[in-house]
Amino acid sequence: MVFSSLTFLFAYLPITLLLYFVTPQKARNLMLLIVSMLFYAWGEPIYIGIMVLSILIDYVHGMLVEKYRADDRKARWFVAQSIVFNLLLLGFFKYWDFLAANLSLLLGVSIPQLHIPLPIGISFFTFQTMSYTIDVYRQDAPAQRSLIDFGAFVTMFPQLIAGPIVPYRTVARELNARKHTVEDFACGARRFTVGLAKKVLLANSIGQLWEQSLMAQDAGTLTVTGGWLGLLAFGFQIYFDFSGYSDMAIGLGQIFGFRFHENFDYPYLSASVSEFWRRWHISLTSWFRAYLYIPLGGNRGGTAKTLRNLLIVWFCTGFWHGASWNFVLWGFYFAAWIILEKYVLRDVLEHLPTGIRHCYTLFAVFVGWGLFAIEDLTKCMAYLGVCFGHGAVWSDADGYLLRSYAILLAVLVIASTTVGKRVWERLPMRVAEVVSPALMAAGLFLCTAYLVDSSYNPFLYFRF
Amino acid sequence: MTKVYSRVLTVLFCLFLGGLLAWHLLLPDRKISEGENRTLAQFPTFSWKALADGSYAKDIEAYFADQFPMRDTWTGAKARTEQLLGQRVFHAVYLCQDRLIAAVAQPDRALVERNLASVKKLSERVPVRIGLIPSAADIWQEKLPAGAPSWDQHGLLEQVKALGIPQIEFRPALQRHRQEPVFYRTDHHWTTLGAYYGYGAVMYALGQEPLPKQAFRPETVSEAFYGTLYSQSGVHWLKPDTIEFWVPEDGLTVTSWRSGKPQPSALYDRTYLKKKDRYAAFLGGNQPLCVIENQNAPCKEKLLLVRDSYSDALAPFLAQHYAAVHLMDLRYYHDSVAKYAEEQGINQVLVLYSIPNFVTDRNLVLAAR
Repeated sequence: MVFSSLTFLFAYLPITLLLYFVTPQKARNLMLLIVSMLFYAWGEPIYIGIMVLSILIDYVHGMLVEKYRADDRKARWFVAQSIVFNLLLLGFFKYWDFLAANLSLLLGVSIPQLHIPLPIGISFFTFQTMSYTIDVYRQDAPAQRSLIDFGAFVTMFPQLIAGPIVPYRTVARELNARKHTVEDFACGARRFTVGLAKKVLLANSIGQLWEQSLMAQDAGTLTVTGGWLGLLAFGFQIYFDFSGYSDMAIGLGQIFGFRFHENFDYPYLSASVSEFWRRWHISLTSWFRAYLYIPLGGNRGGTAKTLRNLLIVWFCTGFWHGASWNFVLWGFYFAAWIILEKYVLRDVLEHLPTGIRHCYTLFAVFVGWGLFAIEDLTKCMAYLGVCFGHGAVWSDADGYLLRSYAILLAVLVIASTTVGKRVWERLPMRVAEVVSPALMAAGLFLCTAYLVDSSYNPFLYFRF
Repeated sequence: MTKVYSRVLTVLFCLFLGGLLAWHLLLPDRKISEGENRTLAQFPTFSWKALADGSYAKDIEAYFADQFPMRDTWTGAKARTEQLLGQRVFHAVYLCQDRLIAAVAQPDRALVERNLASVKKLSERVPVRIGLIPSAADIWQEKLPAGAPSWDQHGLLEQVKALGIPQIEFRPALQRHRQEPVFYRTDHHWTTLGAYYGYGAVMYALGQEPLPKQAFRPETVSEAFYGTLYSQSGVHWLKPDTIEFWVPEDGLTVTSWRSGKPQPSALYDRTYLKKKDRYAAFLGGNQPLCVIENQNAPCKEKLLLVRDSYSDALAPFLAQHYAAVHLMDLRYYHDSVAKYAEEQGINQVLVLYSIPNFVTDRNLVLAAR
């Protein structure tokens, strides 16, 4: 189930909220576990088995790590077991077909592809449970003794399918004892509505512009302008989609008394690529930093080692996004920019006016979206080729698209900046208290209209 | 954040979600949606198998969406919002001031070739004329938003020329009159006026003189016609269309083969004028085969129209001249066209399709049999 669906909003969520809040405090983790299991089982019931297995294995390993803490070799052994299990799980479900296809090509043998559907959220929950055993080993958090509490942590539906990746240590305390206040509920509901609006009203709408560019490419009518317009649209789509989901997750978490860390921090305002990655999908970059880059030695082993570590981390970051070469390329693409910034551009960038630094960053990031968005590498290169001048500059269709999307694009640009936030903070309390419910009502109303409309499916009898 | 303010937000949020859930539960389920012209999903029957393969969940979601309270109102609200944002296209329909025009998508080239080849094959067995009717997106091109993409229909007519089958020139006939309301504003069909000009084109192609406009007395039979584009787009703020009947029914015998057997029928089925799909008042809508006979016809020949719904409005005009006009719809009629023509002693077959239908039709291949 996804948050931006009628079934979630008007059936699952109200019923879940009701069940959760009528449950006595002590049993709320159990209730959270039950409703989250239902949430997970909704789309792919058979995969609930994987989820249960994953919970059991990581739960046991956490306990074992703590039990054998005195014997570091044994403790490490259990951490390693847990990591291997999680990576095997992820590797099998997400990467088997990719590896099979490429190894078959490379070795000239035939390894069968299995075409099994990807369990929802597997990339997120395997990373989350890996962080658990490592945190316990590092003594960043005590092992969770209650299987129910641990299960509630792993399956917690607000962040289950699209992140953010919540490291165990950040919610360990709230898992055992947390408060539920009406202020938290209101704040969470408001945040959820903002996220929903970002996803449904903004991301989905601008996604259609991106579709237009892809269609133009297929028809051979894509122009330079159309190409860049498409990249712009895709960049906005993915940002508002993903940060919208994160907002919804953070908001729901707050309703249930959890405080998840922020996952996005106005990434398109960055003045360098490195900064962009400190503001984009923060939970993933900090995960790789804490559990891969630093353990590899980070930047403390000389230039050669730092370069190696950066390449490893960026390979993994790219590959994490999908089992396809374009994601690997996308990862290395950013590795290249970051290395360049680290060793060459740093002094140059510092002396450039801020405006130019922003433009440079946006250019690098949005070209990157081209690599990210089109999985077929030949098509991807052809698309970028058009953007960089391999085609007509302008067509009437571009004018039409610009006119159709101008207002939405302006809204998206403003929404990518802190303007809204700053205006909001300057509003007198009294005004904000009146405006806020009105905005929430309008947001919920419009999102419902857009969601119903997307299910609106007239039978096109005249097509015959 | 004050407590009162928090309570207001909390109550608002819960009321919105819970309220719509309650409304949904209390609202009786509907069987069909007139606006969308389709049956709506019903609550699925439970089975362990459906639960395990995930189809039960999908069916529940479909049910929940289909039975959502006030579907049409939500859709209308969305279209309005999009319009405010400067959007001009709504579910592949362009809003052009006071009218709707369906965008035509790039067709599958192989399918177009196959359909053309089928007509060619048919023409090798019986005398065939082909007439492809451009849609409003072509005739009213200048009404579309500037630069709005729609597939070039003119190119297809050039392709048809290359077949070497005599053509009926609908495009020039409609273009000459493009300042007049030749298409409905909320429906994709041509109006009776458009069909009249189409009739002129057919008559010229057959070497006959069409009756002048003055020979007909248009009767307005509905002023509340909201057509397919109205439903498809969600643009619900336009004025309804008017439907006119031009040809009187006197002296015409209409027979319909709706269920494999001949049944007496009528040129106009006025019961449809009270329903959503008012265009179906012409000949009573879709059917495999329909024959209009005119004993007083000046011309004793018979015509066979292999056609789509555009011919429903056109056939009454042709019936003024020909002893019998047979209308065959290949979606429902699956026998050999050539054989039928032979059996009925028909030596003039007209293949009449609107271009968007012709390039997407998957039954035309039957015409070659």
